[in-house]
Amino acid sequence: MSWNKVAVVGGGLIKFGELFDQSYEQMAAGAFAAAVGSVDHGIEPSAVDAIIVATQRGTLWGQEGIGGNTVPSALGLSGVACTRVENACPSGSDAFRIGAMAVASGVHDVVLVIGVEKMRDKSTQEGLLARAAAGHPLYNRGETAPVLFAPFATRHMHEFGTTPEMLAAVAVKNHHNGCLDPYAHFRSEVTVEQVLASPPVCTPLRLLDCCPQTDGAAAVILTSAERATEFTDKPVYVAGFGVATDHPYLHEKTTYVGLPATVTASSRAYAMAGVGPDELDMAEVHDCFTITEILDIEDLGFVEKGKGGPASLEGETALDGRIPVNPSGGLLAKGHPIGATGVAQLTECWWQLREEAGERQVSIRRGYALQHNVGGRGSGVSVVNILTRNP
Amino acid sequence: MRPVAVLGVGAAAPSLRMAASEVGAAWGTGAPKGTVALCDADEDTLTLAWQAATDALRSAGIEPAAVSGLWWGTARPPFAEGPSLGFLATALGLGADAGGALYAGSTHAGMEAVSGAWDALAAGHAEVTLVVASDALVPGLGTAGETTTGAAAVALVLGAIPDPTAGRGASGAPRTPVSTDGTDSASPNGAAPPARLVARATRSAPVVDRYRGDGDTATGDVYDARLFREEVFVPLLVEAGRALQGQGTSPDAWAVTDPDGRLGAAVAKRLGGPLAGGDVYPQVGDTGAAAALLALVSAGADDDVGPRTVGAVGYGGGRATAVAAELTRALPGAAALAEVLGRGRRVGYVEALRVRSQLVPMADPIPMGVPPTGAAFVRGNAEMLGLEGARCRACGVISTPPSIHPHCVGCGGSELDVVRLARRGTVQTFVVNQTMPPPFQAPLPLIVVDLDDGARLMVQGSPADAATLGIGDRVTLALRRYALERGVPVYGYKAVRAAPSGDGPGGDGSFGDARLEEKGTAAPAKEGAT
Repeated sequence: MSWNKVAVVGGGLIKFGELFDQSYEQMAAGAFAAAVGSVDHGIEPSAVDAIIVATQRGTLWGQEGIGGNTVPSALGLSGVACTRVENACPSGSDAFRIGAMAVASGVHDVVLVIGVEKMRDKSTQEGLLARAAAGHPLYNRGETAPVLFAPFATRHMHEFGTTPEMLAAVAVKNHHNGCLDPYAHFRSEVTVEQVLASPPVCTPLRLLDCCPQTDGAAAVILTSAERATEFTDKPVYVAGFGVATDHPYLHEKTTYVGLPATVTASSRAYAMAGVGPDELDMAEVHDCFTITEILDIEDLGFVEKGKGGPASLEGETALDGRIPVNPSGGLLAKGHPIGATGVAQLTECWWQLREEAGERQVSIRRGYALQHNVGGRGSGVSVVNILTRNP
Repeated sequence: MRPVAVLGVGAAAPSLRMAASEVGAAWGTGAPKGTVALCDADEDTLTLAWQAATDALRSAGIEPAAVSGLWWGTARPPFAEGPSLGFLATALGLGADAGGALYAGSTHAGMEAVSGAWDALAAGHAEVTLVVASDALVPGLGTAGETTTGAAAVALVLGAIPDPTAGRGASGAPRTPVSTDGTDSASPNGAAPPARLVARATRSAPVVDRYRGDGDTATGDVYDARLFREEVFVPLLVEAGRALQGQGTSPDAWAVTDPDGRLGAAVAKRLGGPLAGGDVYPQVGDTGAAAALLALVSAGADDDVGPRTVGAVGYGGGRATAVAAELTRALPGAAALAEVLGRGRRVGYVEALRVRSQLVPMADPIPMGVPPTGAAFVRGNAEMLGLEGARCRACGVISTPPSIHPHCVGCGGSELDVVRLARRGTVQTFVVNQTMPPPFQAPLPLIVVDLDDGARLMVQGSPADAATLGIGDRVTLALRRYALERGVPVYGYKAVRAAPSGDGPGGDGSFGDARLEEKGTAAPAKEGAT
């Protein structure tokens, strides 16, 4: 594969949370300002010649459609080329992949990848729970978002003896990490006992097994490796990426103890980057529910299939563990503003590889970080991006 | 009157029971006797009818495609105006060319359905008819009906008996599927049918008893109970019964509609015979359109009694119809009645109000993404109600539903045959959803089912199974009401745990399985591989 090397020269986000006081446009402007402000040698906003915006569902704030024209105007960049990407929960990570390809192709010079999502303009009942129709509209009524992942917990427990305590260990770790991340929605510790005592949401998942509904925005600035040094002395490079699909509905899955889209997407990204899971220093993975992180670390090859629960319980994925996972607090603590999620994960990888993550900094030895999302009804699509600080 | 054969029967009762004393306690009116059956939030007169009819077809050994039509009587169909009959016929697997009729408007509808089906057979316009009588009426708050109104369904498969005096066809072959052995008895396998309907009589009087006006969702009893017992109910029912005797039949027992647990016995006494089916009312209450036929099925459950004649007398809306049935042996399917009536979860008055939508939260239900009148339903309702799959000629994998699978989920092939799915399967995995917006009610299991033909579905489960469901459990697909969507009932299948014997209501849907088996090898199960 021959492609021009792409560098990340800036990244930033706004504090995630229930941002009742901010409009979609204001959140976007905040994330863009943070990304611009992060560029070591400075950058003129007008240097941006293309924008890829990720927003998953505008209907959550009353917009049936959100074209590419919404964000440039809000950033003072009306006239710049802009395209909206919607690809379920990996929308943000796929926007990054598409932005990287735009630079790699040489068509665009400086690309802003920005994810923006309004989750809380509507009430909880009207939000993602609304219609309880996450599945097939005729057959699968009553399916809310947790229904898309909880069946995997039931089956994982059945086949591998995974326990509620193992699931809870994921929530405990990510909430701990969230305490160290000033951008996280939740910044408080939780205990295993608290997770196990939280109300049942979708058995076997409880409230603290679930990510919150969060507003947020995040942005990164991409340019070619050749131009990167104009903006920074510490560029981070795009090492590889992969996207893969699977059948969309839960009844079409070939397995209920893993997500094949993640396996395929990551194998493509590893091949492109020329690295394997053992060469990663950290990973930001899709932990919309505790079980999802356990599936992810197995499907991404960090641990053997079936060992995700014990590995989580034993601290292998903690900040000082063998493979730190979700140092930002993950979706569970930082939040999951869908379009922004992937871009925020990439910003975390960028900080970590530049060793600028403060109290939650992990040890960077080999210089590789992985970012992953999976989603779309029954996890029908996954995107994996791998970044490196190695030139 | 030309006799017709009874080939098989089925019965269904809803999953909830309430002691009448709960009603008395709620209103401070003492503790009336009795128990009534009532529908859970996902049941109604149509789902009960489906269950009874499914079981009746299986008991009779009749393929749905062989049924000439569906004659359904229910005082209040689920769509007051709309596609009630078509939905039920499709879900039962009847052909798109099936005839029949829907009778409604009073609890007499069940007897009208029998009469209509019988007349079609006698006229030679049908060979096999499916008769269903069901009701799940909602009594008005504070009316006497609250302590008596039950719910149930009963179904009879009727077959034509060739007229021995008429010439046979050119081939000399009997009309299918009912053959004759040279006597006046007939059944699909050439043996005498278990029962024949031999006489019928109707009496009418223009009186207002029960009443429900436009816009009313519950039934009011506006009549004086003593007045109507003496001047309407007893005289009409007895006259109809005596008219049977006038046609040369002499019933040995009387299966009588019973709105209060006393009227049936009083009518039977005046007709000079014992009451049949006296076990029905005490267990499920007044079952409206189903009452008299349920009592007939009860009378036909016992194989030891020997040949006898039972008079079934139904009533509703000022009309009484009596039917004389000559039983030669136990009615196929009737033995299941005791179990059908006997099960059920006990609920209190408040839960009864909630499941009957008489106690509703102030919060607005959130409309579904797909309105029941939308294109997705027009396109997909038949394949969903008919439980169709697309089976790949190349690899045998079944993709569901066909309309969203132009290509096989197993191999991507595009040569697919539409098949009816198996109705039984095993739980692959499941969840119990505890947090949903109205109109959904927790706990709601959602189950990935590996069907016995290798197909896989994800469907709702029964709240009754929520606490004890497990991977590997055997389940049966049963038609249930998913929601009232913008006031319109939406139907779909739920995976309900099969009875321990593995032969519980809902059955094995043998007609569905059989068709797949005819086509050859079973589809390979999807492999779990990661």
